[in-house]
Amino acid sequence: MKLSQIFRSKTGNRHMQFKMGIISSMLFIASLLLLPLLGNKYHLHIAILSMIYIYPALGLNLIFGYTGMLSLAQGAFFGVGAYTTALLAIHYGWPFWLTFVSSGVFCAVISLLLAIPALRLRSYSFVMCTLGLVVIGEAVSKNWVSLTRGDMGISGVPRPVLSLWGPGFVVSQVVHYYYFVLMFAILGVFLFYWVVSSPAGRCMRAIRDEETLAESQGVYVWAYKLNIFALSAIYAGLGGSIYVLYMTIVSPLIFQMYHTLLFLIIVFAGGAGTVGGVVLGAFLFVAIPETLRITPDLRMIIYGLLFIFLAFRMPNGLGPFLVRIGESFFSSQPKR
Amino acid sequence: MRKFLIKIIIRLIVLVLIFSLASYIHVGMNKAEAQTEDIIRVGLPVPETGGASRWGTFCLRGALLAEQQINNTGGVLGKKIKIIKSDSQGIPDEAVSAAQRMIHRDKVHLFIAAMNSSETKALQPIVEEAKIPMVAAASSDPEITYRAGVGGFKWTFRNYPTEEIRTLVLLEYTIKEKGFSKFSMLAVDNDFGRSAVTFTQKYLPRFPNARFASFNFFSLKEVDFRPVLSKIKAAGSEVICLYTNTTETMQVMGRQMRELGLAGKVRIMGLGDITHPENIKALQEVLEGAIEVTLWQLQWDHPRSRQFVEDYNKMFSEAPNVLAYSYWETTHLVAQAIKNAKSLKNEDIYKALKAIKYESVMGTIYFDDHNQSNMPMVLLEVVNGKPVIKGTFWSRPDYPTKTKQ
Amino acid sequence: MNDLIIQQIANGIIIGFAYAMASVGLTMIFGVLRAINFAHGEYFMCGAFASWAVIHYFQLPYIISIPVSIIISAGIAVIISRIVMEPLVDAPFSTAVLATLGVYLILQNTTRLLFGGTYKFFSGGWLEMLTIMGVTIIEQRMVLIIITVAIFLFLEWMIRRTRIGKAMRAVAQNHEACIIVGINIELVTRFTFCLGVLLAALAGVLMSPIIVTIYPTMGEGMTFKAFAITVIGGMGNVRGTFLSAIFIGIVECFVAGFLGLQFREAVGFVALIIVLMWRPYGLFTLKGRF
Repeated sequence: MKLSQIFRSKTGNRHMQFKMGIISSMLFIASLLLLPLLGNKYHLHIAILSMIYIYPALGLNLIFGYTGMLSLAQGAFFGVGAYTTALLAIHYGWPFWLTFVSSGVFCAVISLLLAIPALRLRSYSFVMCTLGLVVIGEAVSKNWVSLTRGDMGISGVPRPVLSLWGPGFVVSQVVHYYYFVLMFAILGVFLFYWVVSSPAGRCMRAIRDEETLAESQGVYVWAYKLNIFALSAIYAGLGGSIYVLYMTIVSPLIFQMYHTLLFLIIVFAGGAGTVGGVVLGAFLFVAIPETLRITPDLRMIIYGLLFIFLAFRMPNGLGPFLVRIGESFFSSQPKR
Repeated sequence: MRKFLIKIIIRLIVLVLIFSLASYIHVGMNKAEAQTEDIIRVGLPVPETGGASRWGTFCLRGALLAEQQINNTGGVLGKKIKIIKSDSQGIPDEAVSAAQRMIHRDKVHLFIAAMNSSETKALQPIVEEAKIPMVAAASSDPEITYRAGVGGFKWTFRNYPTEEIRTLVLLEYTIKEKGFSKFSMLAVDNDFGRSAVTFTQKYLPRFPNARFASFNFFSLKEVDFRPVLSKIKAAGSEVICLYTNTTETMQVMGRQMRELGLAGKVRIMGLGDITHPENIKALQEVLEGAIEVTLWQLQWDHPRSRQFVEDYNKMFSEAPNVLAYSYWETTHLVAQAIKNAKSLKNEDIYKALKAIKYESVMGTIYFDDHNQSNMPMVLLEVVNGKPVIKGTFWSRPDYPTKTKQ
Repeated sequence: MNDLIIQQIANGIIIGFAYAMASVGLTMIFGVLRAINFAHGEYFMCGAFASWAVIHYFQLPYIISIPVSIIISAGIAVIISRIVMEPLVDAPFSTAVLATLGVYLILQNTTRLLFGGTYKFFSGGWLEMLTIMGVTIIEQRMVLIIITVAIFLFLEWMIRRTRIGKAMRAVAQNHEACIIVGINIELVTRFTFCLGVLLAALAGVLMSPIIVTIYPTMGEGMTFKAFAITVIGGMGNVRGTFLSAIFIGIVECFVAGFLGLQFREAVGFVALIIVLMWRPYGLFTLKGRF
């Protein structure tokens, strides 16, 4: 019996893979459900942040891991989604699910507008262009003061209220938020898995591996790229929405390189092109900098060394690496 | 056969390593830190890395100096005080992570936080839930104060001015006393600069013959003011109203003013460590006649202040700035509050803070019903190369009738 | 009004030269390595800090600090080249991104650890005023302009006429052909990388008296600007970088003067997006090589 094959992106024993994937994700979710009993609010907070960041990381995974275009715009849409939710909730008093959906919709619209010029570019220019979107996002949020209050940011975003009718339940404690965000995270990951294992997912991988060949086989590349760009923007926007529902504040600081860097390392070092790898990466790369607080002065230096180490030693990411280790561990046959 | 043995050994070693790593992490997660009640822990989430680190470090150093001074004179209630710092990178989520860690792992007794306004605002609900007092010593957004105390977040205190009265005093002095009427605004593009400009614009109608030719904002990273200085020169302004966070802006701008021939022809007025002695030394003709309102000045003539500057220089081999002063003073204030409270319980510290009358080097400080301290401030004018005090006053926020967004 | 326009153009050219020197390293490194160097601005910062440290701790004059800072930066460049950059030859794209981000974090935080995160006053430099064609600048800017022009002429000559220049162009075109012909790709990469870093560091040293205060995170803004400039100029295209740096400098000054100084940071990328929509390979590149 092999270890979790949910980390593998190559085709293999599909039936076994699928069963293994289900079992390991069940185990993982079970342990997440039990976390509040084991840890204190600090740990819960870290887990909440990890689950929030899963969304933009999955978006980046979609556009880079599965389609092969490196987009740094996740940070931009993360911020746009956060601002959208904040503004709609404060000015119009919309309930959280409506602002959540609106963030996604708004990001989709913006991304489609921006995609039309952006997708014509080759990979390196594309990267720069998307990086530019983050910088422009920051400039807009800082200077459109009448809308965004500029650098002072928007605060006092109302807490999400769960109600079918009547007054409902206000999510305000960290523990409540934990399960609230966990719900969203599970939803997001399963949606993602569904997309990438569908025929559309196969087309995306075809585009990533050999674009011209894919086009010659009848994959309408332009449309796919457009849709993927929009979908990754939607994911990032939804992540931003949950972020602001949890933090209750948003400011132009959300567009700083910090978030873009974090999403990059989660996807690259977690395992681009895999689902479990990115999920693992999200938890790992939020937890690791926190653990490194024990050496506050060397913290970021060690973090940087980790980047370099992972870049060269595990170019495919931690997920596939762990799977290989696990396989060679449990098998008695020589490694391939 | 040998190869197989080696494989087994390697696997065993790996297993042991993973197991010990896992148990280390497990133990680390649940280790109850030696929470002796013998140390008073003050949490300080400041940006040590990242964009805001060039100011965050000043805040940290001011607090560290105060910590050393307090511990050298016997501590508080016989116990030593310990500043627990944690890097917030200038990002609100990191600040919250740092704060949560300090609350639940390090079990701090109170916070002095944070630097950026958004960080402080992100922390307000956190300290409220944890019922730990937080004194904000550097953020400028008036929203923090509007929402503190009776405004909702009762555990948030603030010992840093808002821009209202400062800007009014500046305008009054420059327009009424000095008779200038043609201004250009140059403000830093962040929470501080924007709120200062908003208030300036609010008070401007009181002075009908004064005009601002333009309102310009610059980013914190800006090093090239030539374009905007050219524009100001072409508009023929008499005074540049400069709102900035720290000394460095004046250094850069001053040199470029010389390049463009504005030195000595245009006066400077504003907020932001402009009349720092280093600046005056380097930019004499530019800063002659400069007017500033400040909450503290490097050469302030009070024995404790002079001692502060001297000790800071000794400890860190460079001069302090306003942020370092603010954190230093606040740390002492907090120590005083704990002394008054005679206990380390959160409720007692809170009550002591509400009731405190603290002798800072600039005057007596106490907190109002919004937990905002009344900041003593000084109006300075540079006359013959020396900053001269032209007036002192108390800064108080202008509370709106209803908490606005 | 005309006066103001001419003044802004002059402002733009002046700052454009500084940008050109700081950005040319990035484009050369990209040409040879196909790697986006996220740490580029950090080398700029290292040059400035090395020079400051020499002046502050050893009380040496500014003019001595220039070559000392270059030597220190060269040392850093060689170390980083051996450990990080050379293994990136023929590596997938994502590896380069991760690795250079790691270098960015390490450089920035090591400097912060060594010198403290506070901003430092830079006291060196030639600060006397100089008036040329009706525009007044401090001498330091003139020095910067002259050195930049000299460097670019040197680069032109080096790339077109010398063997190493031809080797650089060859490596930028086709790695396999280089191996066949016998060019040592690793050596060329090391040389190009060190040269690029040195130029960035030199830009840092020369700009420090102009920007007056230096701090460990000052490199980030420069990195982004350099990104925009090199892409507009055409990646790998040295002449293009020079021209686009001047172009960006002028546009920035116009935007700063007439729209608002606060938009300056965004100008680079807005210009980038507009240019890329019209000419996806950059303004000054005839055909797309990348």
